[in-house]
Amino acid sequence: MSDDATPDVPLGDALQPVEPAYRHVLRVRLLLLWVPLIMAGLIADRLLLADTPVFGLPSTALPLLALIALTLAPKRIYDRLRYALTADQLRLVRGWLFHTDTIVPLVRVQHLDVTRSPLDKMFGTASLIVHTAGTHNSVVTVPGLTPERAAAMRDIIRDRVRTDFV
Amino acid sequence: MVEDRAVGAPERLHPMFLATGLGGSLRGLVGGWAAIGYLGFSGRLGTALLAAVALVVVVAISVFLYWRRFEYRVGDSEIRIDSGIVSRTHRSIPFDRIQDVDITQGPVARLFGLARVKFETGSSSAKRPDEGVLQAIALERAEELRQLVRGHRRAGAAAAPIAATDDAPPLFAMDWRRVLLAGLFNFSLALFAGLFGATQSFGDLLGFDPLSRRFWLQMVNAGDPIAQYLLAHRIAVAAAGLGLLVLAGLATGVVRTMLREYGFRVDRAEAGLRRRRGLITRTDVTLPVARIQAAIIASGPLRDMFGWRELKLQSLAHDEGGKGDHVLAPLARDAEIAGLLGELGWALPAESAEWRSVSSAFVWTLVLGLSPLVLLAAVQMLFAPAIGAAALVAIGAVIAARWLAWRRTAFALDGELLLVRGGWWRRRLLILPRRRIQSIDLAENFIGRRFEVASLAFGIAGGSGFSAHAIPALPRETARQLRDRLLGSRA
Repeated sequence: MSDDATPDVPLGDALQPVEPAYRHVLRVRLLLLWVPLIMAGLIADRLLLADTPVFGLPSTALPLLALIALTLAPKRIYDRLRYALTADQLRLVRGWLFHTDTIVPLVRVQHLDVTRSPLDKMFGTASLIVHTAGTHNSVVTVPGLTPERAAAMRDIIRDRVRTDFV
Repeated sequence: MVEDRAVGAPERLHPMFLATGLGGSLRGLVGGWAAIGYLGFSGRLGTALLAAVALVVVVAISVFLYWRRFEYRVGDSEIRIDSGIVSRTHRSIPFDRIQDVDITQGPVARLFGLARVKFETGSSSAKRPDEGVLQAIALERAEELRQLVRGHRRAGAAAAPIAATDDAPPLFAMDWRRVLLAGLFNFSLALFAGLFGATQSFGDLLGFDPLSRRFWLQMVNAGDPIAQYLLAHRIAVAAAGLGLLVLAGLATGVVRTMLREYGFRVDRAEAGLRRRRGLITRTDVTLPVARIQAAIIASGPLRDMFGWRELKLQSLAHDEGGKGDHVLAPLARDAEIAGLLGELGWALPAESAEWRSVSSAFVWTLVLGLSPLVLLAAVQMLFAPAIGAAALVAIGAVIAARWLAWRRTAFALDGELLLVRGGWWRRRLLILPRRRIQSIDLAENFIGRRFEVASLAFGIAGGSGFSAHAIPALPRETARQLRDRLLGSRA
């Protein structure tokens, strides 16, 4: 759509998936969420439920649930996560249970961040964070990009930012 | 401002700040006073007196030091504020960044012709409320500063300068009768909430709790005939109590509204609208038109019946007291609101506006969402009919309210303006210029998906943090088309 696009960043209406490595980021993040839960379950099981008929249920059910979540959820989240950067807007589509389709007109952007968490560094991804002036939805995050692409997108968006707050 | 034009001569706060600031700081030290009160009540009067004197002295010294070390300079293009007793802060606020100069006068300040000046800079807001504040300077100087900032802004702004004098008729004003009426609509039981909270926290300390049954039983036991009379006329007593509640609610509303809105007046000012209001604390706020993001016309079932509405503007700056939207007319007729909107270049929706209502799924999604509760209540009916029935009635009321709201929920496109109305109890009409939309969310969830509906939520700058503007329950295709129309072909 625009001729000043870096070859790395496809501009256009077509929705792009993010990097496959983002699934691993999600998986590790989920693991970090589940580990304390499982530990709490184990402790509660030993200490509180020892003489009840449900003894052993938390110690087996929680790891099982975690396993299911860890195998299924990252792929599902990844499959539903799409973005598109056109000449004048950024679009981010995510989720199924609570599906959201966000569009940010680029002229409205206030400032931009490219961030990399330790997990991102481990799997070679980065997030582009777009701040708008809106009270609702003031931060829109596009996760799971390669650092180069995140930087390139930032540069493209930066060139189109215009402020109208006189 | 002769010796150094770029920076300007240093100026101090008005010496009377020593008195007003002392009062303010002493009032702010609630914890200290509570401790002293405790000392006094527990019999150590001497210690309490000493502590009180020490507190006053320490505060007086700190206020004096604050005044001594506080300087501001008005330069050609910026205001510099040097403050801080031990750690100094040198703040520089460019005129370009100042959106608003708010002038507030408390009761004491009015007596001495002082004013508190706040430079609204957009980014300041809630986090650091004291940024860019001159606590007490002479009112004339405050007006001068405002003119200076405005004059600087005007160089860039396109709006024609219009002299804002008190001789010109106001755009909108309310006499005391109108304010009184507005107060009657502002029925509030905040007084009781406050009383309840106070007895919860202090009741044990005082040794009684007027909101407990025991307290009243003890009270009436003192005079037996009264107790018998009351017991014999229970219904009358209950009615009288209810009447008292309503009266107290009305009185609270009237007093609060009188204090806040007395002498309400909106004038046309350079590049904006100027609002003055307040009985004891008088505030003077100017809203630049360029910063206004959206208009909200609010009403309630009763107010609407009599044709009264409230006009609020969502702006980048926050209104005084941390409230998001600027109230531009607390109680007004449609014609008056149309006049005020006309100043912004907007208009009330025309009769011919093509209102499109939202899908009835707005009601059905709620019914489906509440169905587990209905089931629970039905089961409860088997064991405790009274509670179950009450729960069913409550759920029914919620659904009925939603149905009433659905009948009023609609949107329309009027040129560059998006109009959204909705709510039955809290009736609102949002007037939103297309170019003020910062982002659009199209959201659907697992319940709405069955009805093929989605909601559109709009990100708009400013306003109170929690009130997102949205159109609920639009058929999916309509939602997509509307979003594309709103975002497409921007200027």
